[in-house]
Formats: sequence, structure tokens, C-alpha cells
Amino acid sequence: MTLASAIRDDGARLAAACTACGACAAACPSPPFLGRPVTDPVAAATGLRATLRGEAPTAEGIAWIADCTRSGQCAAACPEALDVPYMMRLAGMRLRGALGEAPAIAGSADTGWAARVKAFGRLTMTEEEQARWL
Amino acid sequence: MAVTFWYGCNMTRHGEVIRATLRLMQAVGITAEATGGPASCCGAPKEPDARIAGAMGARTVAQFNASGTGHVVTWCPTCHMNMQDVMAPATPTNFETLHVTELLHASRDALRPLLTRHVPARVLLHRHLGFDGRVPVNRLVADLLALVPGLELVEHELDLPGHMCSALAAVPGGLAQAQRATLAAMAESGADTLCTIFHSCHRELVGLEQGRAFRVANWVHLLAEAAGWDIADDYKAWRNAPDPRAAVGADGLASVGEAVFDRLVAPELRRPRPV
Repeated sequence: MTLASAIRDDGARLAAACTACGACAAACPSPPFLGRPVTDPVAAATGLRATLRGEAPTAEGIAWIADCTRSGQCAAACPEALDVPYMMRLAGMRLRGALGEAPAIAGSADTGWAARVKAFGRLTMTEEEQARWL
Repeated sequence: MAVTFWYGCNMTRHGEVIRATLRLMQAVGITAEATGGPASCCGAPKEPDARIAGAMGARTVAQFNASGTGHVVTWCPTCHMNMQDVMAPATPTNFETLHVTELLHASRDALRPLLTRHVPARVLLHRHLGFDGRVPVNRLVADLLALVPGLELVEHELDLPGHMCSALAAVPGGLAQAQRATLAAMAESGADTLCTIFHSCHRELVGLEQGRAFRVANWVHLLAEAAGWDIADDYKAWRNAPDPRAAVGADGLASVGEAVFDRLVAPELRRPRPV
């Protein structure tokens, strides 16, 4: 299994078990904390399910997935005991274009990340530590 | 017990925390070899491309399998969750994944005699909701801090969304809202020390010290202080310095290179504060 196949296959498997009842979106603490609460949890959950199926998501689904900060409170809320945090993660990757589709959520890979990580390592580690730890 | 200490990638800003964590493990009889940075990445920074992120994760699992240590001890909650959710299911592993707080908490009786120095502090623990459901880090770190003589952990109801501050930084307005709530909690609780659990929170919160009468420290900084170890938080000093270039100094600039400092380091140290 690859990450791409996990996004497709695990996404489809979990979507098939999801009833889109909206309990997960209603329990999510991020949108209200950010001042933009989910007004229609069922529409948000329907968007999550559609995304995992590779279908066009609802606007509510895109907004909710974009505001996911991985709080994990959706897990306990699901009456089907689905791994909703994992579903949100797969959906987030998909909507950011991980499978080569046009991104629906802004956010590209950080092109300076590796060089920046190494640069800070050179500042905070000895040469011997860099050789062993990096 | 021999372990691989997988500190992640963005922890390179805190070599002193990696060093002190290894020393804490060594003190309780754990032999650890640290690894991190781009060469052993979980793939999260490249998630917008599943091919690249997946290949990075598979390479890291292969590297850990080859180490033969049997235990990979994580620091970063993103790495930890990625290992359990997507890396290990994709590539068979021959090791168990533990979080560093689980390992040290299980050895707290052995840690206790090491922590003899008084650390007079009223500490608010900076808690997030997200990773705590996977590993109860909020309780584990609170228990570890309770070993420190003189340290008082204050009570406050604030539990922030997200698994760490980098998740809030990625959504519009998230970091500013979290920092406002944290400042309010500091004032309401009367704490004089804000204790971070994760590196990304620490990176984002150290800037709050500027102009305010409290300090920001990571839980490892506080344990190291109680052990009497010299552990300077250089990143915090650079972030709060009026001139980060001068604070990094000539030796630092020579080690990283002028061009790299200007392009990659200085913009981060000089970035605007959310609040």
C-alpha cells in the first residue's frame, strides 16, 4: 500500500461506512474557536464523505476540512465508531491536491523546509551531532 | 533498553532539547540514538504530493527497520500519528512506536533522584486536545513536572484545539486566537511560567515573552533545570533579540552561512508576532 492508495482505498472504505449524520462536525472545536462555526454539520459531513469518494464536496465540507486542526474530538462523537480524524486527514490531503487533482484548499508544500531544517541544525548542534543526528 | 529517538524535523531549532532528552533517557538506563531532519521524515511537509510524502515515509520506516533497535521513540505528534496511521500500515515495521513522554513517565521513579534543584515557578501547562486522545501527554507531562522541587502547576481549564500550534498556524486566525486565549489563561491563573509540550508550540510562543513578565519554557527545559544541567534556549534568545543577526553572532553566521541565514533563518526569527 502507498500513501496514494491509502487516500483512495481507505477513503472509499471509510466513506462507505459513514452515514453523514454530522455528529463529527457538530463536535469539532476548531471552527467555533476560529469564529466561523459549522452552521450545517450534516452538509459538512456529506462533504467529507464525498471528498473521500473522490466526488465533488459541498462548500460546507471544504470549509470544515480546511479548518481541521487535528483536535481529534470527532472520534468520540461518531456513532459508527469510525476513525474520523483519519478520514479528515485523508480528505485534507486529497483537497490539497495530493493525488494530482486541482487543489480545493490552498496550501502547497513548503519548498524551503528541508534547507531551513538543516540551517537551524547547523546553528544548534555541534558538527558531531549533525553527523550523527541529521 | 536501546531505542531510536526520532525527534522529527523542526526540532533542529532546539538542539538543546534533543541533547537533554537523550541525557534524561540515559539517566534512566535507556540507550538512545537520535535521528531526525529531512533524512528521516514522516512525509508531512510534503503531503500536498502523496507520491513524495509516501516515499519519504517508506524510506524512514526502512531506515528504522534496519537499525534493529525494536523501539522508535517519537517527540513530534505529527510524526507519531503519521507512523501509526499511514507509514506502518504501508511498510511493515519491526519496531514498536512510543512517545517520549510515555517512556520517561514509565521511568519517573528513576528520574526522581536526579531532579534535586529547586525550580521556583508557577507553571501553566500549554495543552492541546488533539494528540492527547492518542497519548495522554497532558497528564504525563503534568506528572513529570510534579517531580520538580519547588514547581507548582496551576489549574486552568484552557485546552486548545489542534494537536499542536503548527496546526493552528495553518488556518487563518488560528494562532492569534490561541495566543490570546493563552495570555488570558496566564493572567487568570497567576502563572509566571508557560510550559510548552511540543516544539512547534514552543517556537510560536517564545515570542510572547517580549514585554511580558513571564517566561516560556519547554517541559524538558524545566526537568533539565531541576537536574542542574546548563540548558540555554538559543532559539528563544534569537527570536526575542532586537537584532537576531547580532544575537546569532559571528560563529553562528559562519556555521550556517550568510546567504542561508538571510534567506531561511532571519525571516523566521523576524516574523511578525500574531498578538
